[in-house]
Amino acid sequence: MQRNRELVNFIPVVILMVIGFISVYATRSSQIDASSLSYGLLFVGLYLLMHVLLRFTAPDADPYLLPITALLSAMGIMMIYRINPDQAAAQTTWLLVGLGLFAGILLLRDYRKLDDYIYLLGILGVAALVATIVFGTEVNGARLWLRFGDMQIQPGEFAKILVTIFLAGYLNSHRELLATTTWHFFGIPMPAAKYLGPLVTMWGLSFALLLLMNDLGTSMLFFGIFLAMTYVATNRATYPIIGGILFLVGAVLAYSVKATVHTRVDIWLNPWDDPMGKGYQIAQSLFAIGDGGLFGTGLGKGYLLLGSGETIIPALETDFIFSAIAEELGLVGALAMIILFLLFCYRGFKIAVDSDDGFSKLLAAGIASGFALQTFIILGGVMKLIPLTGITLPFVSYGGSSLVANFVALALLLLISNRNAAARRAS
Amino acid sequence: MNKPIRRLFIVTVLMFASLAGMLGYHQVVQAQRLAENPYNTRKVFAQMRIERGLILMRDKSELSANRLEDDLYYRTYPGGDLAPHVTGYSDVTYGQTGLERSRNDYLTGTADEVELFTILDTILGREKRGADLRLTLVPEVQREALDQLRSIGKNGAVVVLEVKTGAVVAMVSSPSYDPNLLEANWEQLNADPVAAPLFNRATQEIATPGSSFKLITTAAALETGAFKPDSKFDDTKGSIDIYGNTINNYRTLPFGKHDLADAFAQSINTTYAQVGDELGQETLFEYMKRFGLYERPPLELPEDEVAVSGRYEAGKLAGPEKQLDPVQVAWMAIGQENLQVTPLQMAMIAQAIGNGGEMMAPYLIDTISDYHGTIIRQADPKVWKTPIDSSTAAELTEMMIMTVEEGTGSKAQTSKTQIAAKTGTAEVEGRGPNAWFVGFAPAEDPKYAIAVLVEDAPDESGAIAVPLARDVLLAALGL
Repeated sequence: MQRNRELVNFIPVVILMVIGFISVYATRSSQIDASSLSYGLLFVGLYLLMHVLLRFTAPDADPYLLPITALLSAMGIMMIYRINPDQAAAQTTWLLVGLGLFAGILLLRDYRKLDDYIYLLGILGVAALVATIVFGTEVNGARLWLRFGDMQIQPGEFAKILVTIFLAGYLNSHRELLATTTWHFFGIPMPAAKYLGPLVTMWGLSFALLLLMNDLGTSMLFFGIFLAMTYVATNRATYPIIGGILFLVGAVLAYSVKATVHTRVDIWLNPWDDPMGKGYQIAQSLFAIGDGGLFGTGLGKGYLLLGSGETIIPALETDFIFSAIAEELGLVGALAMIILFLLFCYRGFKIAVDSDDGFSKLLAAGIASGFALQTFIILGGVMKLIPLTGITLPFVSYGGSSLVANFVALALLLLISNRNAAARRAS
Repeated sequence: MNKPIRRLFIVTVLMFASLAGMLGYHQVVQAQRLAENPYNTRKVFAQMRIERGLILMRDKSELSANRLEDDLYYRTYPGGDLAPHVTGYSDVTYGQTGLERSRNDYLTGTADEVELFTILDTILGREKRGADLRLTLVPEVQREALDQLRSIGKNGAVVVLEVKTGAVVAMVSSPSYDPNLLEANWEQLNADPVAAPLFNRATQEIATPGSSFKLITTAAALETGAFKPDSKFDDTKGSIDIYGNTINNYRTLPFGKHDLADAFAQSINTTYAQVGDELGQETLFEYMKRFGLYERPPLELPEDEVAVSGRYEAGKLAGPEKQLDPVQVAWMAIGQENLQVTPLQMAMIAQAIGNGGEMMAPYLIDTISDYHGTIIRQADPKVWKTPIDSSTAAELTEMMIMTVEEGTGSKAQTSKTQIAAKTGTAEVEGRGPNAWFVGFAPAEDPKYAIAVLVEDAPDESGAIAVPLARDVLLAALGL
């Protein structure tokens, strides 16, 4: 039984979570109070509740995804708590919202009805992005935030899910046409020009995101999800290859016209030219990661905060949370986290492979690729593998929008896997 | 559609593998370089978050303490300019010197012995704090030495050792500086290479010993049995011709008929040139080594702050392996010929003679105690070398008493105690000579040994160092 397996998987997760919260509390007890321990208990309780819910709504769903998510989000909140207890309280509130939405989607059960509303969802997604571009506030040069009173949301995170659902539906119904070669472009087999429309539109949209939001990361993410899903739908390498070339052209163009992109790339190439100025963030990130060594400084013992409580790395709890984890948990802990992300992706792709209908397959593959790509973009950025671009680390970074959106994605993956099992039993 | 999904997963695996590779690269391969990057303030601030141990004098008065500001500890020096060359400084910008550097592990509580206690305290929720160093320095003696050097207005150094243990009672280098004002005065402190206030003359300066070196020559002469204190000499001209080279007495005074003890007390160069010639290079080098030259004295200061004494050629230590010209050997016997010694080394020689031939390992730290006050390390006086036997030491002591009673050290006479000493002057190009005083007191039961070096002495006699040394010795004896 899948749910019993899930329950067994929760055992090590709960042990790790409790140890984690206790050690954060022990090392920082002079600055923080015993409420960290109640966070630990709250966490365990919430996830067990979700486990029970799954027993009723999706008993055959994948037994690994929820425990992996629990561990990732626990590591995140633990780290956020260690950095700033107030933010941990906010993040916990968002976790409740996320889990609420998660439960709601599970109760809907038939996610395939979404296929009927893909254009509406697609338009919603694009509208969210457009709204951000028009009404958004700029943070560090990037326009990613919408402000409602005291609350800030990142519509891009929700748009990511909406666009993925849209693409799953659209590509599913057009995949045969897209896969048919009607002409050749410099010897490359091409589908009919009119079906190239979406490809060009997506490229245009990504590029517009880049130019208008000033954000390389979000742009890369959307275009990457699109290419991956098109590839899955058509089984033609032509799409990712042409898409990749288009993206490179766009990136080079952006590098020459957009100062922010130019600067980001220059910092990536030569962070040591100005380690106290432009290169400060990445230099400090590398110092933190390096300081972790094999086993880390221990939770709460890293050099993350100044005497005033300010973080040494700007945006530590959001974009750079992995650097903090790498410092305090070392190569062992950080590698474990990378493996958890890989496992999550693996389960996602496996659910896609197991699906028997195009929409489910594309949706699962789209979610898994988006998850993989987003993780790669931010981790690669903080480690100086690729140019740094501000984007959240799924389930771990501080930030409500990202957390809630990712729980939606998780609910969808679980529902798809539940349906796969039911279909398998039926046949 | 499953083939492209599998391929996407392979791409994902490759992407994550590159992340893992990059992570390992930073955390393992590059970790050391990142830690040492000058822009990485991790180490400095990590140490600033620890309350450093205090550095105290023998009476527990503070030399180095802490000031807390924004959760960070900054070093303060309540001792001011009293002993900055011993404590050194610990500064975010300028780094560390002295004991602040060499005993940083104890002061920050990272030394193994201290760490044991710290883990327990972490569990008990106590704040981490470094271990305190209690030094052997006696504030009155240290103050007297500094004031004396200041009052004559010359650069120089004084080292006072406890004869029985080798404990450093005073270590002064003048001009001194106030480490509290390090940042404000940094440029000025580094502007004058002659005064060089940051330089610890007591252990870092190597200067020609001049006649004070005759202690070693005489020790060799007596211990080998080649000469006795009453060995007879005759000096008719006040100068001597050695292999075509003329060696003069001070002011070329002829001394007439005399014995070795007279030659020692009056510092007769012509006689010592003959003694050196007779002993030969091998014996002289052997006794230099017996007295600890050519080796770094095992003091607790950082290695590069304790110079090695010996014969130097072109800035490098030159041992006995090269055959010297006989005239060079004669010059060496009277303390010239590129010999270079530190005040610490000379004080150690006096200490050994006063201690019946046993040279103690000099030490600055009496006890190290953790923040509970538990002593985790206690000085354990050890014999470092035994250059001569007690009878030679006794004979030398007699000659040193004579030096004070009727020889070059007469200004060290005092009714309060009997001082035994040897003086020396060594010419320095472009300025007055270096004046040396090396001795101990009381002569009959030696308690304190001293070496004084005064740079740019006003006359050839080197007399300027003598009353200074006397007063410091009296201060040490509490007289």
